[in-house]
Amino acid sequence: MVTLNKKKRIQLLAIVAATAMATSGVGMSASHAAAQTVNIGISADMDKLDPHTSTNFATVRILGLVYSELVESTTDLQIVPGLAKSWYWNSSSTQLTMYMRTGVKFHDGTTFTAADAKASLERIKASGSAAGNLGLVTSIRAAGAQLTINFSAPNAPFLAALDGVNMAMVSKADIDAGLIGKKVNGTGPYKYVSWTPGQSVKLSTNDSYYKSVPKVAGLNFQIIPAESSILAALNAGTVDFAYIGNPLIAKQVGSGLTLQTQPALAYHVLQLNARKAPFDNVNVRLAIQCAIDRQQVVDTAALGQGSITGPFTMPAYKSSLTDRPCPTADAAKAKKYLAAAGYPNGLTIQVMTEGGEYALATPIAQSVQSQLAKAGITVQLQPLDAATYIPKWLAGDFGAAVANNGGKVDPDTMYTRYFTSGGNLNKVAGYSSASLDSLFLQGKATGNPARRLAIYNKITHELENQAVWVWLFAPYDYYISSKKLTGFTPNPNGSMLELRNVQLG
Amino acid sequence: MLRVISSRFRSKVVSVCTTLFGISVFVFVVLRVIPGDAITSSFGQDTSNLTPATIKALKSYYGIDKPLLLQYLNWLKGFVTGNLGFAFHTGTPVTTLTANSFPVTLELALFASIIGVTLGTLMGIYSATQPGGRRDFFGQIFGLFALAVPSFVLSTLIVAVSANKFHYFPNGYEYSKPWQNLSLNLQQMMYPSIVLGIAVAAPVMRTARSSFIETQEKDFVRTAIGKGVNERRVRFVHVLRNSMNPIVTMTGIQFGYLLGGAVIVEQIFSLPGMGRQILDGIMKREYATVQSSVMIVAISFVVINLVTDLIYRKIDPRIR
Repeated sequence: MVTLNKKKRIQLLAIVAATAMATSGVGMSASHAAAQTVNIGISADMDKLDPHTSTNFATVRILGLVYSELVESTTDLQIVPGLAKSWYWNSSSTQLTMYMRTGVKFHDGTTFTAADAKASLERIKASGSAAGNLGLVTSIRAAGAQLTINFSAPNAPFLAALDGVNMAMVSKADIDAGLIGKKVNGTGPYKYVSWTPGQSVKLSTNDSYYKSVPKVAGLNFQIIPAESSILAALNAGTVDFAYIGNPLIAKQVGSGLTLQTQPALAYHVLQLNARKAPFDNVNVRLAIQCAIDRQQVVDTAALGQGSITGPFTMPAYKSSLTDRPCPTADAAKAKKYLAAAGYPNGLTIQVMTEGGEYALATPIAQSVQSQLAKAGITVQLQPLDAATYIPKWLAGDFGAAVANNGGKVDPDTMYTRYFTSGGNLNKVAGYSSASLDSLFLQGKATGNPARRLAIYNKITHELENQAVWVWLFAPYDYYISSKKLTGFTPNPNGSMLELRNVQLG
Repeated sequence: MLRVISSRFRSKVVSVCTTLFGISVFVFVVLRVIPGDAITSSFGQDTSNLTPATIKALKSYYGIDKPLLLQYLNWLKGFVTGNLGFAFHTGTPVTTLTANSFPVTLELALFASIIGVTLGTLMGIYSATQPGGRRDFFGQIFGLFALAVPSFVLSTLIVAVSANKFHYFPNGYEYSKPWQNLSLNLQQMMYPSIVLGIAVAAPVMRTARSSFIETQEKDFVRTAIGKGVNERRVRFVHVLRNSMNPIVTMTGIQFGYLLGGAVIVEQIFSLPGMGRQILDGIMKREYATVQSSVMIVAISFVVINLVTDLIYRKIDPRIR
């Protein structure tokens, strides 16, 4: 028997460790590829399991695959049946009657009924982050498969407001037992398996999904904080699919991968708080609007990856890009507005920006800063982390702020909360008027698309001509996948529900 | 004699406890001073939808409705008794989170230190053999490079080259614990250990070089050479052994820093270590997570210092 002295043993151990580190990758890719589970790279972790109160993008996207809603929006933003198979409005648009699908099962095997829908909507109204969508709801009645919702005033845009994971249908029994946020029990295409904070979220296929059952075994979301590392993982074949928000990373995608670029409903905006000096002076706001070349912001901050926009980003109600005092940047006109506002020698403003996951905030703010300087406006940037930025933003405790606000399928749900005097985000908007209140009410009262378009064009006119905010551009979302993954169609609303249709070739 | 040791020990214990107490108060206060809390962090823009009653209930749930002193004392009492608190966003006890993240950081720190100390010491010795000469110049360039190149640049470079050219990026897989898949674990540790190891090597190299140059001037070295002892033996046995104290000190300090979590490297290489845990805690205003994690890092630092002291005594009998 060979015995080794201490020195030899240490040498041998070092050689074994080095060899293991250097050679043990052999065959690994093959073993992982054998399973038909899609590996997905995401840069941010989930932050909770309650669909009604989730606002974090990762949480919304992942739980959106586990839960279903009464309706869903297609990739061309049409509202189609979800758990409700049909519906009708009364003539005054104050009562909506919906019929639930029958035979739909929650992941725990219990049956979904109209009583679950009623309990879900009531929970959302009481404590959900989308409670504002149910502001006009006066009563909800469930009888058999029928759900009747009554409103205090006409509410034609309500159907669109039912889409999204914040409006998810959960089990009444789970609500009663206080299990929402602890037990994940949806009716969506994938079942929740596990969440290891900071590492991964695992979902398996729901074989009794009420629409087309997914063709893969499940989804494994891997949290890779740096988007550049997600791209590396895609290149190395360790990840099959990823969502990327940073255009700089998207530009580096090579021919070995599939890149899908989707214009988003979200928008980047320079918010001006019209309730705070000097922004309470419309001429200051107009000077800022005129001084900013939106296309230059897109080109410098987002490498040209985005399209300039007005308030409404959804194709059906898209705002005119020219219905504003300065359709293109005009520094001379900006100086005139500034002089009219009493600042002939220029002024200094502070602009709050959010760091962290909002990668474009600082480049956008710097682009705006350099452009405003040409009109004599000095910008002092206030970079803050998200947890500091949000409370200040919510309290309207800022003069100007660069923001990336989410878009909605319907213009009413997108802006009522901001620009009506009773809107829950009106403090953030910093502006309201009797005319806007009236126009938003008119928009709710009719379901006629042409009439609604005319109404929202008037809203665009007021928002732009009062330079309430300076809307900059709508970004692109980037979905990158390996060549072997097919079947994914991006949705402008950012949902990844279409992962229910993917397959690995 | 015993009385002297006991007095020194008491003084050390008092100093350590005071430092840890100071750190705990500092972290507690800083977290409360910065704007935002667990509610705004959790609900984001939709906090404005919450009714006053819901906000009150949430404050109670997060434990931020109590007076600050009571919050501090509750946390301290829990920490001392092994209850590190609760991470509300994930619904997980901080003890569980730390039990997962601390071993990752410890393993990374260990590998990085081994690489850093080996590389740094060898480069230091190499430089010291020709002070002011070509070897020294080369060594100094290495030290300068290791100090000057930020770890995120080196990390990004390694990731890009490895993934694009060789289609190899083990950190793209979910993190594997050593007992789950040792092979994958070692691969996932390889790149970050090299990056951090190079960063550790620079100060170790500089320390080793100075210490080595100083020691090789000593009389006992000249005597050994005069007696005809092999030059390599003189260098690696006599000089190195007597140059070790500053190297051990520097290694201890660097190891302590690494235990604090190499946030950027952990982010780029997707390692769920202490750095990410603390960063996440700060971003989500998870007070218990941040306070407890920082205290664990601080205690680790203290322990490393004590271990360093013990190693001194082992390698230099004059200190015993």
